[in-house]
Amino acid sequence: MTSIQAKLATGRGKFTTDYPDLGTGPVNYEDSISEEFFAAERKAVFERSWLCVGRMERLSRKGSYFTRELPGRLASIVITRDLDDNVYAFHNVCAHRGNKVVWQEHPQQESAGSCRAFACKYHGWRYGLDGVVNHITNEEEFFDLDKSKLRMPPVHCEVWAGFIFINLAAGASGATGESSVPVPLRTFLGEGLLGIEAYPFHLMTQHYGFSTQIKGNWKLAVDSVCEWYHPPYVHGRFIDPDVSKAEKMVPPVDSYHYDLFRPHMLTSVPGPPILPPRAPGSAGEPRQDQRWIYKLFRAGLFGPDDVPDIGPMPDFLNRGDIASWGNDQFWVFPNISIQIWARNYYITYTYWPQTVDTHIYEIDLYFVPPANAHERLAQEVVVDSTIEFAMQDVNTIEATHSALKTRAQNTFHLSDQELLIRQFHTVIRDTVAAYQSGEDRES
Amino acid sequence: MGTQLPEGFSELEQWVDDWALPTRAERYRARLDRPYDDVVAFYDGMAPHAERAIAYLDGLDINDLGAEDKRLMHLLCSMILVSYAVNIFKQNRIPDSGAAFFEMVAEPAL
Repeated sequence: MTSIQAKLATGRGKFTTDYPDLGTGPVNYEDSISEEFFAAERKAVFERSWLCVGRMERLSRKGSYFTRELPGRLASIVITRDLDDNVYAFHNVCAHRGNKVVWQEHPQQESAGSCRAFACKYHGWRYGLDGVVNHITNEEEFFDLDKSKLRMPPVHCEVWAGFIFINLAAGASGATGESSVPVPLRTFLGEGLLGIEAYPFHLMTQHYGFSTQIKGNWKLAVDSVCEWYHPPYVHGRFIDPDVSKAEKMVPPVDSYHYDLFRPHMLTSVPGPPILPPRAPGSAGEPRQDQRWIYKLFRAGLFGPDDVPDIGPMPDFLNRGDIASWGNDQFWVFPNISIQIWARNYYITYTYWPQTVDTHIYEIDLYFVPPANAHERLAQEVVVDSTIEFAMQDVNTIEATHSALKTRAQNTFHLSDQELLIRQFHTVIRDTVAAYQSGEDRES
Repeated sequence: MGTQLPEGFSELEQWVDDWALPTRAERYRARLDRPYDDVVAFYDGMAPHAERAIAYLDGLDINDLGAEDKRLMHLLCSMILVSYAVNIFKQNRIPDSGAAFFEMVAEPAL
């Protein structure tokens, strides 16, 4: 064991055995390659779970709105903030003849703006910020219209900690047809996650957003950032080009913390210490060495070295009390991770399935607005480092997916530090099974 | 070539046209498209002046930079973006990254 490893080791035993229901046996990944499973998963998980579609900063004032084209034709929705600061979500479909109401230039592209009402580009029907129709062109020419029931179909929408969630379960208030009201968002999040709302997300408005399509099942992408087994291999060049040295630089397996609170989960990660303040002109001779870049700009993968003051750290962070804490990654079932870093910024990772074989991967980084040039540049280092690492993960997912699709092997093995993968696939499969057996179906 | 940068940074004028690019997408495109030797030359050309440039910019209001100051910021941003290529990968692209590419959908203004 190296000195870094000795410093961080806890001597704690295995985590997986704390969750006997999950077992320790080999698993298969048919859930990631089967067309049939994909269709069931979409109904059981994505059409019935709370899904995060963005931050409240996107609705910065009364009348603000934005649209989302949820991948895989899951839904096309409008999210609005009305003049009384209520937040609404509704399907982007006109009650007249089904035209998409809110778009600019390209119907398939998302748009955003501010208004008092939406006018359909087809025949001029207008809707308020709550999605209810408030003008019908030549209304007297229609037959037996009940204007009070005409609207863009509502979608359940709740806001928590500044994150806007929607739920596509049928039967939002005011809709016609059978109702299937989801559990309230806060109930769904539960004790394991609700404490996050003490975190000052609202201070972190400096936003960098990235998106890419990955040719692999979305769950394989979640798997790839749920464990800390891969870094010396996938990201070895960042740590040390010599893999045998890189292996010695990574924290020992017992220095991490895992916590499962079904259906959600948490992993806490150790990180490097902050660099001490540097006197002006002391960055040293320029070198072709990334450690010099980190020293010059005072930042790296684990964040800036000059950390903004955001007040005391909420108690719920680093709940496993790991040494040299780096970040907490909260997995909100099913498809978003909120990663809160010790150096006072956060990143969200969102996974939107398109087909069994492809998904859209979104990475959003949020910082306290920089007070000066060096803080801005430090944030650029953090952003660029994050994306360099993510690019390496992306291609690995494509490689895994294409190999799994051959079905040449059907059983796979998960170690203790891959506990979250075991849990994640189990929860997805159980959710699908419950839906299929009708246990979860209520009137 | 005129003066496109703040006074005192004339050594960096030669990099402005290729690397003082206002968006990250343009900067990343430059990293991928320029010959690798040019990328290294840019890094080596920026490095001796970078600490002085940061100190100079720190004396200004980050929310009210003039055009010359913004160009200097963009040069430093490009230097950060190419540093991984020069210092870690020894090539423009991330090894084993294949066709992987992230679209930038939101970026704070400078």
